[in-house]
Amino acid sequence: MLLLSAPFEPRAAAPPRQPAGAYAPVVGAVALVAAGGQGLEWLGAGPAGFGHALASGAIHGGWLALGWLLATGAAPGWSGPVLRLGGTMVVASIVARLGPLGPLAFLLVPMVLLGEARRWPRLRAIGLGGARPSHALAGLTLGAFLGAHLLVTASRTFGYRLQSSGLSAYLGALAYDVGANALTAEWLFRGAVFSLLWRRVTFWPAAALATGLSLLRYLLDPALPHAVEARVGAVFYLGLVGLIACALRAWSGSLVPGYLAALGFFAAYRTLAP
Amino acid sequence: MIAGPVAFLVAVAVAMAVTDQEPASVLRHLYLVPTLWAALARGAVGGGSIGAVAGLLHAPVALPAVERAGLTSATLDGLLSLGLPLVAGLLVGRLVDGSRARAARLAAVLAIQRGLDGAGALDDKLLSVAGELRAALGARRLALLVGTDVRTAQIASGPVGSLVDVGSAAAFALASGQRVSSLDLRADPRVRADEPPGPTPLRALALPLVSGVGVVGVLAVEWSGDLSRSTRAAADELALHVGLAVENARLTLRQLRFAEELAEKVAAATARLRELDQAKSEFLSVVSHELRTPLTALQGFSELLLRSALPPDKAHRCLVYLHTEACALGRIVGELLDLSRIEVGRPLELRPERVDLDELMERNVELFAAEHREHRFRWTPSGPAVTLRADPDALDRMVKNLLSNAVKYSPRGGQVSLSACPAEDQPGMVELAVEDDGVGIPPEQLPRIFDKYVRVPHPETATTRGLGLGLSLVKALAEAHGGRVEVDSLPGKGSRFRLLLPGVDRDF
Repeated sequence: MLLLSAPFEPRAAAPPRQPAGAYAPVVGAVALVAAGGQGLEWLGAGPAGFGHALASGAIHGGWLALGWLLATGAAPGWSGPVLRLGGTMVVASIVARLGPLGPLAFLLVPMVLLGEARRWPRLRAIGLGGARPSHALAGLTLGAFLGAHLLVTASRTFGYRLQSSGLSAYLGALAYDVGANALTAEWLFRGAVFSLLWRRVTFWPAAALATGLSLLRYLLDPALPHAVEARVGAVFYLGLVGLIACALRAWSGSLVPGYLAALGFFAAYRTLAP
Repeated sequence: MIAGPVAFLVAVAVAMAVTDQEPASVLRHLYLVPTLWAALARGAVGGGSIGAVAGLLHAPVALPAVERAGLTSATLDGLLSLGLPLVAGLLVGRLVDGSRARAARLAAVLAIQRGLDGAGALDDKLLSVAGELRAALGARRLALLVGTDVRTAQIASGPVGSLVDVGSAAAFALASGQRVSSLDLRADPRVRADEPPGPTPLRALALPLVSGVGVVGVLAVEWSGDLSRSTRAAADELALHVGLAVENARLTLRQLRFAEELAEKVAAATARLRELDQAKSEFLSVVSHELRTPLTALQGFSELLLRSALPPDKAHRCLVYLHTEACALGRIVGELLDLSRIEVGRPLELRPERVDLDELMERNVELFAAEHREHRFRWTPSGPAVTLRADPDALDRMVKNLLSNAVKYSPRGGQVSLSACPAEDQPGMVELAVEDDGVGIPPEQLPRIFDKYVRVPHPETATTRGLGLGLSLVKALAEAHGGRVEVDSLPGKGSRFRLLLPGVDRDF
């Protein structure tokens, strides 16, 4: 029992705050690459979709980098992992556009992330560890349930039908969720943000703020449809997915069940065709 | 308990699907019924869960309506209905949880008071109270430190025992009377924890237990995960109760111990009074006997002298007997007078002067040797260095009593030694020792040996005459001289009485 056994110094000062200097170059680099990619897209320069892939990869890489800085407290040695993670994401995003098997490149991102994290034991504090099978199954079940619910609701709204572009497009979208969409959301919002907040406040405020930030991320995404009903649906379902992922993270101590819940939901969502 | 609300929920959903597909249908309000039912039955978790499911069931009605009609008052109403059951379930559930928590706190307080009440070891009681507190607070680990010093405090903890570091947070709370609160012990800069921060924060509170006399202990609690404001308040409240209850328990135990000690003392005093009463009765019987013997001799010889014309030699012998018995009678009366003087608290009258110890020892040894031929008497001259200033008569009586005692308790004869020398372990004191190889004194009788009327029972000395006053008089006289008397004895081996009196240079 630490209250009884660990030495205590009542006047010990808190460690210095995270240096803002670590965030500025990352944000700057992400903004520069994303703007460059978007510029290429507007100008029509380069292969088709290259600029968009560059911008999307930079943004997702930026989320991973931001999560890394928050989770490690921007401890010395952050630049190497951040560069490798961001670079992998950008490369995967570009490769995904090259052919039907391209999206498989997204599967590299979780592996690189795990490889980098293995050298940083303190990342276990944000839930980067294994989960019990029962917890993982609970996450997958809840995600699948929400996904099924989405399909029912969507069938009444849009007239549900399968993706017309076929299985490869569906699997490509799933690979994107595995390596970019769901991964960055869990890593940044449930891992770094929620874990840091939960150390300072109770569960509900921490979960509400982390989920609110993740919703903001989706709502600001220019690639998503802007129709009111789509945004209302996004807020409803992604809010629930976010809260459930936070609850799973708190319950299991691991990011894996929430990640599986998000994948279960997006696996259903990707079957929808507009 | 949750099956009823779920069934009601499904019934409402089916009714809405069959009858009315409008997002603002009046039927949607019925979702509140199972939600509140679950909240009342299972608190925030039940109410929130059923409320969330109600929202999910209503979503396929409310969301498509937004697409069909856009954001109108009816569709907005439908959208609000998505979250309303969840919010209502959580709020009502929290109220229910709060009410149950208060009831649980009250139950815990009663359990604590019952646990600490009555007789029994405080350690066991604290262990039981620690278990109650841990359950009431839903804590991962909890420890109760009772005492004002962390090194000597009693510790009760659950689930397992723990050692206390003198520089720990609990020790700080105990020493300073200040509470320690941490949102995550493993990430707290004030705590030098060996383990790195985990995925779940380790909340902690160390609360001083305060009673009327100050800080009497510390309640240390660790939670894994969330720590609500109500749990924190409950910990504060319980710490207050535990502090008072612990102090009450300690006072009760002290009272019980005091009562036990008092009862033991009263029992011992009663037994002692009985012994004294019995000893006095025996003493009266012995005194009567001791007085009757010389009186009978005095009566007999005086009658013989009065009635018969005895020849001079026979008359002289009678007179010698009369004188001897009169002296014996005088000694007994003298001892009784001394005893009465001691009992009423009057000091013994002493006339101290320089005493020739060798002469005193030689005279008494010769006297006793003449009377008790079955004993061998030995005395060791003290030499000129040993000088004593004492009342010669009192000293003579002390030596005679000690020699008489040695003779009485050596019924088979044996050696009696008398010696005098400076006391090696008591500078300035003179030691006068009388040693015999008689029946000795059992260890349990040694503390009473100098008490009045006490005669150590022994089968071989049962017929020995005596009042049981000799040693108590020796003690009284020794103390009146500013000295004391000590005894070493082994049953079957003999006894050694040691009379310690101040040397000549002492002012007594």
